[in-house]
Amino acid sequence: MQPQLIRELEALLGPKAVLSSPEDLMLYEYDGSVELGSPRCIVFPTSARDVSQIVRLANRYETPIVGRGAGTGLSGGAIARSGGIVIAFSRMNRILEIDAANLRAVVQPGVVNLDLSRAVENLGLYFAPDPSSQKSCTIGGNVSENSGGPHTLAYGVTSNHVTGLELVLPDGEIVRIGGKTIETSGYDLCGLLVGSEGTLSLVTEITVRLMRKPEAVKTLLAVYDTLDDTTEYVVEITVRAITPAACEMLDGFTLRAVEDYVHAGFPKDCAAVLLIEVEGLTEAAEAQAAEITEVCRQHRAREVRAARNDQERNLLWRGRKEAFGAMGRISPMYYVQDGVIPRTRLPETLRRIEEISRKYDLQIGNIFHAGDGNLHPLILFDERDRAQFARVVAAGGEIMRHCVEVGGALTGEHGIGMEKNELMPLIFTPDDLALMERVRAAFNPAGRLNPGKVLPMGKACGEIRVPPTPASAAIPT
Amino acid sequence: MSRLAQVSFTRLEEIAGASHVSADAAEIAAREVCGVRPSVIVRPADGAQIGEILRFAAAENLAVIPTGGGTKLGIGALPARYDIALDLSRMNRVLAYDPQDLTLGVEAGVRIEDLLLTLAEKKQFLPLAVPFSDRATIGGIVAANLSSPLRHAYGAVRDFCLGMEFVTGEGTQAKSGGRVVKNVTGYDLHKLLIGSLGTLAVITRVNFRTFPMPPAQGMFVASYSTAEAAFEFCRAISHSVLTPQTLEVADPGAGRLLFHAEAATRIMPTQWSVVISAAGQPTVVDRYARELGRMASAAKAAEFLPIGDSEQSFVFARIREFQGLLLEAAPDAAIFRIGVLPTAMPSLLKDLSEVAKRCGDGLATLTRASGIVYAAFFAQTGNESPSVITGNAVKEVFRVCTLPENGAQAMLEWCPTEIKTSADIVWGPSRRDFEVMRRVKQSFDPQNVLAPGRFAGGI
Repeated sequence: MQPQLIRELEALLGPKAVLSSPEDLMLYEYDGSVELGSPRCIVFPTSARDVSQIVRLANRYETPIVGRGAGTGLSGGAIARSGGIVIAFSRMNRILEIDAANLRAVVQPGVVNLDLSRAVENLGLYFAPDPSSQKSCTIGGNVSENSGGPHTLAYGVTSNHVTGLELVLPDGEIVRIGGKTIETSGYDLCGLLVGSEGTLSLVTEITVRLMRKPEAVKTLLAVYDTLDDTTEYVVEITVRAITPAACEMLDGFTLRAVEDYVHAGFPKDCAAVLLIEVEGLTEAAEAQAAEITEVCRQHRAREVRAARNDQERNLLWRGRKEAFGAMGRISPMYYVQDGVIPRTRLPETLRRIEEISRKYDLQIGNIFHAGDGNLHPLILFDERDRAQFARVVAAGGEIMRHCVEVGGALTGEHGIGMEKNELMPLIFTPDDLALMERVRAAFNPAGRLNPGKVLPMGKACGEIRVPPTPASAAIPT
Repeated sequence: MSRLAQVSFTRLEEIAGASHVSADAAEIAAREVCGVRPSVIVRPADGAQIGEILRFAAAENLAVIPTGGGTKLGIGALPARYDIALDLSRMNRVLAYDPQDLTLGVEAGVRIEDLLLTLAEKKQFLPLAVPFSDRATIGGIVAANLSSPLRHAYGAVRDFCLGMEFVTGEGTQAKSGGRVVKNVTGYDLHKLLIGSLGTLAVITRVNFRTFPMPPAQGMFVASYSTAEAAFEFCRAISHSVLTPQTLEVADPGAGRLLFHAEAATRIMPTQWSVVISAAGQPTVVDRYARELGRMASAAKAAEFLPIGDSEQSFVFARIREFQGLLLEAAPDAAIFRIGVLPTAMPSLLKDLSEVAKRCGDGLATLTRASGIVYAAFFAQTGNESPSVITGNAVKEVFRVCTLPENGAQAMLEWCPTEIKTSADIVWGPSRRDFEVMRRVKQSFDPQNVLAPGRFAGGI
């Protein structure tokens, strides 16, 4: 990179807000995915004005720009695939306003997801999207990826909770869209921008909805002796139109690894467990819990156990949310998939994943959001074995193809990024993609903002890209 | 066929079939948009025909407006041009309904009333309780993004629409989203089409998630003599553990219109009425009855009544049909749809009533407590001036909305054509994001074939 650009950035932001030494750059070349890409510098703006000026400077130097929150993304969204400037939002981490009366908060993009819920906890409120990385991921990142989490089954994903944004467009202009009110007139630009994976604009301020904590929460653990019984049960509660707040599944392999690590109380000899949560008025939660327990028993659950207190409940959730960490104890690496299927196709899909596991001689664990059909097969591997890694990528592609074949989607919450952009033609026609490219160009005409993401680049069409070297182990959502 | 040459008519007949192209005067009149009439009506059978029609229109520099039941053509600014009415009534099939998965895919021309009957057979529904429900179609409801009282519990179309298929202004068939309940694959282009009034693309298919009908329902009304007291009650509900299905406030003007009908309810129409509905297990509905009664008296309600089972659907339908009922009673009414925060509602309503007083108009408001005010200005009986609202009064409404204490955002959803002298009258003063919207329009409809002039900022 031109030293002149670094000097100009330093003049703009101060020398402490620009990193460009090789050892600093290494820290920013990966995220939570298995992808890598090295930026030329990292800058730390503190305002929308800073961001706008960085963008204008980058344009003058024709340099790519990539926004970055905590770097926990799972599809390479924050990776500087074509080099350039990484704009890290970690210094824009203030909660600007909490409007409890109207259930809104206004935050900067670098605010950590869980920090917002903690800040409004004493008001009986919380921010509903709850990715498993919520202790570290930022709301700006959630907005870019349209992140989900276990409780999105009942409350929706990030886009359902964002009412307004302040943006810096790729030409440096600062624009506000939406607002604090639930609707504003004109096209729903927030609807387009949330989930656009940082390819249309840089988000510098976010207005979100807050939710009131429910009166009662009941957390149930259902234990099963066969995988088929478990998945058929999930189908049954969907068919009966029982919508719990969360319905998570861990298969036997995964729960054994978790149990050794977290001691959540999962029976180690079972085939799978479901972690089900119901919420609402006491009467509603009790009625739903009773119905769910009854259906569980009809579906040959070995046992249905209710958490008796917050401590037991938190332990069960730790078992879910720290499951990926537990995987790190038994395998050098793992590759998290993120497919979606219609919920009624769950039984056959898990059987298919088992077949794929045997075919490629790979260990695949399953831990996922069963209630909305969002799978996270976890393929274990050793990065030193390149031949094995090629099988991992092939198996991942086969799982994705199955999801598409049964009417599903390529990603439920992790994003397309640079992991699956070449798979987009499995879902979308050339015309669909051409329109998406035109919309991207309407915002980002020079393609300088987060290049090489979301839309296919035309190479290795229909394949998951084989990364040069797998990076770190992924953190789940 | 004033503007349309015979050769064009013949070409449209080739595309859609002779029996599906019409220039019948009565049909043309029914497709009028703000006094502008099309030259021809075409009823395509599928997306491929729509593509051909739009490519033809682009080549001939003709403007096209898609229509369904034709109930909301009066929304939006005056179209700059309008040659072809694209009537989607033939595309009225339910393409995929998987009640077990609670997902649904329908063509745009499906009537909401028919669809709700189909869903009811499986004890499911879509939370689209919208006006003109005997004629409104899914495509029109989505394109106009009409608000439903059920928004309080279920959100708006953007919250339960899973994906769409559509034809862009260039005649290209495209799609976004999908059929599964959780999906972040690609850009959510379909969200742009919600509320776009047909200015970006012709919607041909919409995928939704469906919802189970609750086992029991209850409806309650509390009457108050002042707006402040009514909204104080709403605030108490919103800050409690209760999560009602609907929470609506009708001012006395709206109360008289809605509840003073022949099958009169016991609701006191001279008061501010807070109408609340609750759903769930019977024990849950009982709990609402107890808690709401307690909260209403704590908030000094003049009266608190449970609405009987037989009256519930009547009251719900009246609220659902508010705009239609109002236009029936006062065809020249101007109805604003205003997004506003709950805490600003009393102050906004006070400012609106002052505008009405200054202009000598009657005012009726129906407020969705989650953040939408429908405010209707109309001529009072005996008022000598027949033209109720003037351009200046409209500007006054937009002005009071943007006062810092109100922080509201309005659009003029319905008004007499005569006052639509510019797009600003309908959409309000220009905003910086209009320029971004212009770029979006350009990427969907570069030749400006679809409903030119009808949208915000003259798009």
